Amino acid sequence: MSVADAGEAASGQGGMLRFAWAVALRELRGGLAGFRIFLLCLALGVAGIAAVGSITAAIQAGLAAEGRTILGGDASITLTYRLASDEERAWMDAAGDVSEVVDLRSMVGTTGAESERALAQVKGVDGAYPLYGEVQLGDGGALDEAVAERDGHWGLVAEGVLVDRLGLKPGDKLRLGTGTFEYRGRLTQEPDAAAGGMALGPRVLVATEGLRASGLLGPGTLFESLYRLRTAPATDLDALEVSFGDAFPEAGARWLDRANAAPGIARFVERLGAFLVLVGLAALVVGGVGVGAAVRGYLTRKVPTIAALRTLGAPAGTVFAAYLMQVGLIAALGVLIGLAVGGGGVALAGPWIAERLPVPAAFGVYPTALIIAGIYGMLTAALFALWPLSWLREVRPAALFRGEDGRDTLPRPGMLAVLAGTTIGFAALVAALSGAPKIALWVLLGIGAALALLRAVGFLVARGAARLARGPLGRRRPMLRLALGAIGAPGTGTVDVVMALGLGLGVLAAIGQVDANMQRFIKAELPAGAPAFFLVDIQPHQLDPVRAALDETEGVGRVDTAPMLRGVITELEGVPAAEAEIDPEAAWVLRGDRGVTYAAEPPDGAVLTAGEWWPADYDGPPLVSFIDEEGRQLGLEPGDSITVSVLGRPITATVANLRVVDWRGLGINFIMILSPNALAGAPHTHIATVYAEAAAEAPVLRMLGQEYLNVTAVRVREQIERVSGALGKLGAATRWGALAVLLTGLAVLIGAAGAAAERQVREAAVLKVLGAERRSILGSFALRTALLGAIAGFVALLWGSLAAWGVTRFVLDGDFALAPGAALAVVAGGAFLNLLAGLVFAARPLRLRPAGVLRMQEG
Amino acid sequence: MSDTLISLEDVGLTLASPAGDVEILRGIGLEVVAGEQVGIVGPSGSGKSSLLMVLGGLERATSGRVTVLGEELTALDEDALARLRRDRMGVVFQSFHLIPTMTAIENVATPLELAGRADAFDRASSLLKEVGLGHREGHYPAQLSGGEQQRVALARALAPRPQLLLADEPTGNLDGRTGDAVVELLFGLAAEEEATLVMVTHAPALAERCGRVLSMADGGVVSDERATWEAAE
Repeated sequence: MSVADAGEAASGQGGMLRFAWAVALRELRGGLAGFRIFLLCLALGVAGIAAVGSITAAIQAGLAAEGRTILGGDASITLTYRLASDEERAWMDAAGDVSEVVDLRSMVGTTGAESERALAQVKGVDGAYPLYGEVQLGDGGALDEAVAERDGHWGLVAEGVLVDRLGLKPGDKLRLGTGTFEYRGRLTQEPDAAAGGMALGPRVLVATEGLRASGLLGPGTLFESLYRLRTAPATDLDALEVSFGDAFPEAGARWLDRANAAPGIARFVERLGAFLVLVGLAALVVGGVGVGAAVRGYLTRKVPTIAALRTLGAPAGTVFAAYLMQVGLIAALGVLIGLAVGGGGVALAGPWIAERLPVPAAFGVYPTALIIAGIYGMLTAALFALWPLSWLREVRPAALFRGEDGRDTLPRPGMLAVLAGTTIGFAALVAALSGAPKIALWVLLGIGAALALLRAVGFLVARGAARLARGPLGRRRPMLRLALGAIGAPGTGTVDVVMALGLGLGVLAAIGQVDANMQRFIKAELPAGAPAFFLVDIQPHQLDPVRAALDETEGVGRVDTAPMLRGVITELEGVPAAEAEIDPEAAWVLRGDRGVTYAAEPPDGAVLTAGEWWPADYDGPPLVSFIDEEGRQLGLEPGDSITVSVLGRPITATVANLRVVDWRGLGINFIMILSPNALAGAPHTHIATVYAEAAAEAPVLRMLGQEYLNVTAVRVREQIERVSGALGKLGAATRWGALAVLLTGLAVLIGAAGAAAERQVREAAVLKVLGAERRSILGSFALRTALLGAIAGFVALLWGSLAAWGVTRFVLDGDFALAPGAALAVVAGGAFLNLLAGLVFAARPLRLRPAGVLRMQEG
Repeated sequence: MSDTLISLEDVGLTLASPAGDVEILRGIGLEVVAGEQVGIVGPSGSGKSSLLMVLGGLERATSGRVTVLGEELTALDEDALARLRRDRMGVVFQSFHLIPTMTAIENVATPLELAGRADAFDRASSLLKEVGLGHREGHYPAQLSGGEQQRVALARALAPRPQLLLADEPTGNLDGRTGDAVVELLFGLAAEEEATLVMVTHAPALAERCGRVLSMADGGVVSDERATWEAAE
């Protein structure tokens, strides 16, 4: 540092900053005309993220506030396959008021000649149910009376879907298990509906006593019992949980309390929210392209001012600070608008949104969500504005007077370091807040790579267009040449358009292709090799007759059966499951009870990846075969031990082998297969998969309905439709997100078209002077925008499909196929959108008389 | 008269402005015959450039009759006016108005291409050589100096062999020496192509080179003088 520099730094830094601030404010007095697109781009992205964050927070708050209603109690103890023992029940009664609920899947059928059956999620309740909240019936009646035994029949209430499907009227008789129930009303509100696991059918409520009488709670049938506790207000629920665990260490029970009433939903909402925030970030990045373009455009317009300031002695750093402050102030305004629209909009529309959500939500203003969205907005603005602003530090006044602007200047190393730091901070923040850092980082990396690719393509397109314009193609086609020239000339926004449109359409293309592939897996690939039915709860003595009856039914092909029990993994290598260090991806395996079977031989198609299968007549200590992927995620390898609680009895088995399973076949498959001796004597039922033609499905249901009332048939086709429908809704949510990205992209396009508008006005005037008709001028304008849009669409399709391929191949583990319709729509959509943005600004140049335009130019 | 190229009868031009209507031209009457070279002079705001715009069909007169190249301009629509310029007029501006996204040769070829001329680039190339820019054909306007840009503009204006060449302060943005060179070219090429020249200028010396000088003030023609040798003739 020279002596003069040091003197200036010491004496003038504060003064220079004040001067920069004064300049910034003076410059902004002129209004925000040049910053509309800047504001729009930033506000759209921030609003999207703020809205997603606010909705997620509202649902989480709703779940927490309604925790005990959703859970049905302050705490809930779930047992699998059995009711509580007398000791357990005594403990519960001592802890507070108790309600016992039994949950199972079963077939409900009408009586009479033309009997119809449907799968239902049956809940048996006692007199104490519900401890919290209220059950509402269509006729306004009380649940107790509706399910009570009257004239020899227990009562039943059902969800509307089932009532409509079976055409039920009050008083109709229904078969459930071996019992006959009387339909007494439509269930319109079930307070603890969200707490249940995945329902395979509509809800039916009956009295547990009635259920017991119908034989559905016999040994070996698959049911869960849930004990809800209403505790004294000051009760320490965590201590209570520990106390239950200490009292009944082998219970295999799952404990939930009101603070975490619906962990599945909470997790799902959190994941979906995080995913949608990532989509929102893509929108913000697209907006960032617009921000960068707006800053460059602004600086270009300000060249005379900047030149004057520098001539008058303002140091480069001061000028930089003055414009950084302006951009910062405008970015803050854009962020505030975004937060007001996103956060405020959600808060205002709260009641409307709440009505449409299947879960409780407490709408309001959530500062954390807004702060996060604001930080994202400011960081994005910094990332995209610093580069063009850094030119101010490099440029010499003489260059300004020559009319240079800084679009291609590489910032100095210090500024590059600041940019790199901002990028890393941004990525770290996204990763930390997403809840799924690996996926978030991959998404950011994808967006970054896509931006780099699009920038390179934009550059090459500009170069190529300029070359084509000069080549034989441009000869004698002045309007084509003009179009290509406009794409190719420096400063025409080609790179910005390709980046914004390419990124927006690419996100849409990726989501569209992933969605199309997922739908294809479910609709086309799976059912081809999938069974028609899963039969559950086949009692051992029924196994052979059911098989025989199925064999006799026309259209029924293969029938596979396996013994079926359910068990909870309680220990891994002697460490309690809750304390074991495992890959979070496999947490679901430990979360609840899982199907367990036993077999002497490995199942068809299973491939062992480690260890060996046991001999058919093995009679040593219990062995278990575990699924390869989840086994490894749990840290298991042959020789390790796990403890599984089956029917409350702990079985410790040594892992004999790991095996690979293709779940997409939907055949019978279990996470754990035990050696037969391990489960000898345990009461169990059998599960069967029935492969049958569609025409055989009704006869199979009829046969089961007549002779095997306890056997539950899950129609695969129906479940696939349910899953497909749920996926469709998810897809719709994601598409809305993608649309936000595209909308921001459109704002950037309009910005680029607006920036080009003045040039087009001049061009049109000159062309008119030279004798061009308006039609040809319009044609040329349309051609350039459509051409550029189509190119951006094509690149978007390329990288979007690449991203979709990655997701399909590595996340969904499936084969990727390009959906041609969606692909074509992306390219055509690109051309159309850019054409639209271009045409918005084409009318003025065509309308204006050349004299007026040229007079302005002549000054 | 059969060789009358321009005929103005009581032409007026009023433009709207935020402060109210402004009368730019009033009661202009003018006849120019083929082959004439007319210089228009007058102080700023006298209406010189507006008159030139009206002659080129770039501005529509709000009153009177404007007949140029045998066409009644007020009766033609925008596209017909464009075609008239394309085939029979050339215009040179003070600020050149080259198309920034096109190279020099493309700029010159454009009016010829618009007219569907197969030899557009050959003629453009030879014109650029004539104005001394044969080596600059592939350069964009931004890569050319002011004098070079004006020479390209001149070549472009003359490319369709126009009967009427309109020039609006063609040397206004150029230094003296460069301006002189452009002027030499302008007169030389106009004579070579047998084009009638109407030129607006601030420079009396330049106006003097024209056979006829029109002086304007306050939107009207205050004098119309022919050079003495021409008058004597």
